[in-house]
Amino acid sequence: MLNVRETGVNFIERKFAEYYAETLEPVSPLSSFTQREFGFIPFTEKIMIRHKGFTAPEELMAFITSITPAHAYYSAAYYEDPEAPMAKKGWLGSDLIFDIDSDHIQTPCKSEHDYWICADCNTGTTQPSQGNCPHCGSGKLRSEFWLCETCLELAKAEILKLLDFLIADFGFQQREIKTCFSGHRGYHVHVDVEEVKSLDQTARKEIVDYLLGTGLNIEFHGLKKTHRTAEWLSMGPTLSDSGWRGRIAKGVYDFLLSATLQQLEDLEGLTKPAARRVVKNRDRILEGGGRSAPWGIVKGVGPKTLEILAMNGAKKQASMIDPVVTMDIHRLIRIPRSLHGKTGLKVVTIPFNSLEKFDPLKEAVAFPEGRLDVYATEAPVFRLGNEVFGPYQHERVELPMAAGIYLLCKRAAKDARRPS
Amino acid sequence: MTSMLLSPPDLAKYPFTKESRDYIKGLDLKVDELVDPDFGEALNRAEQRVEEALLGGEVKWGGERYYEIEVLSYPVAIMLVASIDDDFLVRRYALAEAKRAYSLFRGERDPERLLEIAGSAFDWRAEDLASDASQSYDYALHFVDYLRNASRIRSDPWKLVNRLVINGMVFLKKDEFARLLSEEVRKHVHSTITSSPKINLPPQLLQRIARITQILTERRENMRREELPEKTMAAAYPPCIKKLYDALLTGRHLSHVGRFSLTSFLLNVGVDTEELIRVYTSVSDFDERLTRYQTEHIAGKKGSGTKYLPPNCDTLKTHGLCPRPDEVCRMIRHPLSYYRTKARLIRREHADAERA
Repeated sequence: MLNVRETGVNFIERKFAEYYAETLEPVSPLSSFTQREFGFIPFTEKIMIRHKGFTAPEELMAFITSITPAHAYYSAAYYEDPEAPMAKKGWLGSDLIFDIDSDHIQTPCKSEHDYWICADCNTGTTQPSQGNCPHCGSGKLRSEFWLCETCLELAKAEILKLLDFLIADFGFQQREIKTCFSGHRGYHVHVDVEEVKSLDQTARKEIVDYLLGTGLNIEFHGLKKTHRTAEWLSMGPTLSDSGWRGRIAKGVYDFLLSATLQQLEDLEGLTKPAARRVVKNRDRILEGGGRSAPWGIVKGVGPKTLEILAMNGAKKQASMIDPVVTMDIHRLIRIPRSLHGKTGLKVVTIPFNSLEKFDPLKEAVAFPEGRLDVYATEAPVFRLGNEVFGPYQHERVELPMAAGIYLLCKRAAKDARRPS
Repeated sequence: MTSMLLSPPDLAKYPFTKESRDYIKGLDLKVDELVDPDFGEALNRAEQRVEEALLGGEVKWGGERYYEIEVLSYPVAIMLVASIDDDFLVRRYALAEAKRAYSLFRGERDPERLLEIAGSAFDWRAEDLASDASQSYDYALHFVDYLRNASRIRSDPWKLVNRLVINGMVFLKKDEFARLLSEEVRKHVHSTITSSPKINLPPQLLQRIARITQILTERRENMRREELPEKTMAAAYPPCIKKLYDALLTGRHLSHVGRFSLTSFLLNVGVDTEELIRVYTSVSDFDERLTRYQTEHIAGKKGSGTKYLPPNCDTLKTHGLCPRPDEVCRMIRHPLSYYRTKARLIRREHADAERA
């Protein structure tokens, strides 16, 4: 039975403990299990328990159930001695990992669901009063992310671009790539292939730059300037090209297909008359003059304009990964099927073919049963499973367990059964 | 990979290949035997290899010799370099062997040959595209092998993002393939030397060691003089230093790191401590006593006695002190390297202008 004195955190912790007790194997099989480092953040303190090593998944499982962490991680790296201090671990290699976080993507909806927590009185708010906490007036607000369909969809679109890079350009097989929903605001991609393990940071940075299009120079992709535009364009990248060449062509093509005059004028360096000429001759440019597009020769649309279009096209084709994660050869990442302490959602491994229709707000639900009575302080509209909730403003609501736990984790609600 | 049959001259050309290593191992050479008159020629050639590296920066192809001597001289040269145990010499020798290999690679007519060497010596995963006439590339190399060697080369065309990459393979021209392969040779030679066990050379060889050490010392002195212009060349300052210097002259605030970078840079390119203190104190309200103390400290005249070097490019970037990298910046990682490189370019330009 419920202990009425139980705090919100105690309650979440107990639910997490139940989840781990019922989940026999929270960890997807990891290669070289014994060479990995594990780390955990408990509910009680904010300090990570690091440098843990386990001899078998069962041992890890026993540890997790004994401490019930709010967050659980394992290293992408392999070590001779995972339990040794960092400098003495003996680095053997690291998987290639990518993180796409909707925090790093500019989404139009951010202003609608940005959310802050006050460091002093611990209250959540969607409407700070002049940058201060509306409850206690403190200035120490830190922003929080609300699960948002739009943001997560955009993150997924970046993942799909990333996977195309990894398969078409880098030649990885589908089965070598594992994609996970992080349980919060983004996705992780994990490439566990022998040959990439020894790559150093400099080499990983080159991969990062490749994916982000950093340092890309169109001269090396068929657009090396000559005096005659016609000659220049006859060498230009086409839609059927592979690698970045094809991506530049696709980026230009996709953009031109639907670009408004305003969008063209907004491109840095493009003059208004040039933008108008592009719009006026849109079809001819897209047709590509008999080539596989999109470099149709149009009077008045010269190398400068085309270069701006090409660079813009490239930008749209890049995959917005977080460079720091990929370059970090000691990175800890969330254990598949573990719970995310900020949402109560689980880390879900997504089968390759179901990625496009994957619905994180449904498939990551870890507590599908029961209901919870909470006092919601402030929360925007959000969806979980098939139901839409909120907005709430200082009201008592009875919610499905997952939604209730989500609000508790977000510190946007209190357990209503607990006398305050 | 099918095993190749390297002809004896090939073993001599590419002494770092597995076949050559096996051949050398088969001779079961002992250090003490080196003084045997039979090895005189090989010893001479070994010493010459190191000399060529120090003087010309490239070991020459000794193909006119008996191939056994040429093959044998390689491990002996490595032994000589290893026993001197000097970082500069090790780097220089590895680079010189790589340059030798590069010229030889470029001279190979049969495209399969480079592929075989890359595969057997370094386990490269590569394909030969030369037979496909529709290809404008000669080789396709696995991206991991590519990155292992190209990520050190800091110039636009070598960035992976500027390469054609399909299905894990990076497309390359023959010359580029040879360049990367020679980079692998450089690393291989370098690690062979640094990982070779310390051995006591027979006393008869000490004379040779002394001769090499002599050249090494002279060479290092020369390079130092050659590399840093005698008179400070303000035109060769990198953009970051120029910006800091301008800020100083116009009396703007310099952060601690900014001031340290500027001071240590200027002192290293030969600006006089007194002169620098004068500049600092004349353009702003710097306390002369403190400025003098700090400047002399950085110059190594106070405190620990070490002369400080300015931070490298990465650190400057982290501190937001790298304003706008230019062409030369892309080739270097340290403001002093920028200065050396730029000074050389400027001198060359002047020389060309005079000749014209």
